[in-house]
Amino acid sequence: MTYKEYLQVLKEHSPYDFSEYSDNSIFRRIQKVMRDHKLTLEELGARTQSDKFFVEEVVEAITVNTTELFRDPDMWRYLYEKQLPLYHNNNVINIWHAGCSTGQEVYSLMILLNELGMLDKARVFATDISQKSLDSAKKAIYKHQIDKGCIENFSQVFKNTDGVEKLFSKYFDIDKKTDIISVKPFLKDNIKFVRHNLVENNLPFYNKMDIIFCRNVLIYFNSRLQNRIVQRFFDVMFSHGTLVLGAHEGLSGFFKTKFDRSGPVYKKSNVFHFRY
Amino acid sequence: MKIPEQRFKIVVIGGSAGSFSVVSRILSQLDPAFPLPVVLCLHRLKHVRSGLVEGLNMKSNIPVVEPYDKDKLKPGVAMLAPSNYHLFVEFDSTISLSTEEVNNHSRPSIDYAFSSAAYSFREKAMGIILTGANKDGAMGIKNIHEKKGYTIVQDPSTCDVDAMPQAALKLFTPDQILKPDDIVKILNGLKA
Repeated sequence: MTYKEYLQVLKEHSPYDFSEYSDNSIFRRIQKVMRDHKLTLEELGARTQSDKFFVEEVVEAITVNTTELFRDPDMWRYLYEKQLPLYHNNNVINIWHAGCSTGQEVYSLMILLNELGMLDKARVFATDISQKSLDSAKKAIYKHQIDKGCIENFSQVFKNTDGVEKLFSKYFDIDKKTDIISVKPFLKDNIKFVRHNLVENNLPFYNKMDIIFCRNVLIYFNSRLQNRIVQRFFDVMFSHGTLVLGAHEGLSGFFKTKFDRSGPVYKKSNVFHFRY
Repeated sequence: MKIPEQRFKIVVIGGSAGSFSVVSRILSQLDPAFPLPVVLCLHRLKHVRSGLVEGLNMKSNIPVVEPYDKDKLKPGVAMLAPSNYHLFVEFDSTISLSTEEVNNHSRPSIDYAFSSAAYSFREKAMGIILTGANKDGAMGIKNIHEKKGYTIVQDPSTCDVDAMPQAALKLFTPDQILKPDDIVKILNGLKA
């Protein structure tokens, strides 16, 4: 059996379709599952056909991803200074975090909105393929973030080194000894966490979006699937909506003309496009 | 030192501690018309995330870029794995990035980059491991060797820190063990 054939088995015997994921990165992850469970590809295929719970475990293992509070501080600084204030006169700001993983960036954005006095305008949908990740995101208790440099990120975003500890403790209960931080409940009020697989064509809400975050998620997909998903983002966004991708993700082909680059983010273009 | 007869489609270079000066030396002596795509996977200090690509470009005879996801490899262009991402080379000569867990305390992981090149390009891949402080990269270059690609390990006696070359040499015997100037001679002898 080849990896491609295994992905076909997975597609036929589960709700999950990984056939349009980037080959080498998905293969490596399947290899890891094989190693961890000491299975050959054939055995993995057989178990995938017969054991629903095992399939969920495999899916968790191959979709697991890392995220940080304020990863890429310059981008967050830009949102804070230049983008989010544009929504100041909105009554409601609809935000979709597509592929939110364990939620650190969902809360990063809530912190910025609160600092701008806009927190109660936010209506946030945070979606992910992994129930386990969503559960962690809801719980919002994070380990080893301080070790990973979240306080440095924080002070870079707010250009504030003296008061940064105070600012940080406004949003987190902190146990420095164990390096465990938990998000204070008031940040969680307007967030809906919903399980959703971006590969599928449905959407878990009816709203149009002002801001879509999809950071370091599209990198796992091949270009064709990426373009399909970006088209969906385009369709579900208000004009002038803001699309926030990862630092090394770009828009390809004709999407380059449908979005305008603004610093590190993309704005839905308002220009009328002829279709030839 | 013998220049390999076989034709390659990609050269991947990995290193960590001390590798900046070696990589710049190699890039500064490379033929400006170097005919193959190059992938550079270098460990960086966590909190010094910028400046590497600019630094390398100042010395290099070929352009050095940090690719975006799904960018295509280009002959005569060195693609440097962006900080805080893993880099994979795909079958269609595009780059895929990933933010999954660190491997051997490293992101980018040299093992991941090299293994993907081995898997995608098999005997058409050349892998070079330079000076470095941990074992990340050893498994990856062994994968290139197993797929009949060409492997070069920097002579440990010329390394600032030889843990990475030594880890590779423990796993298999590469085609050549060379000092940096001879690595350049090999590269400049390669044809498209």
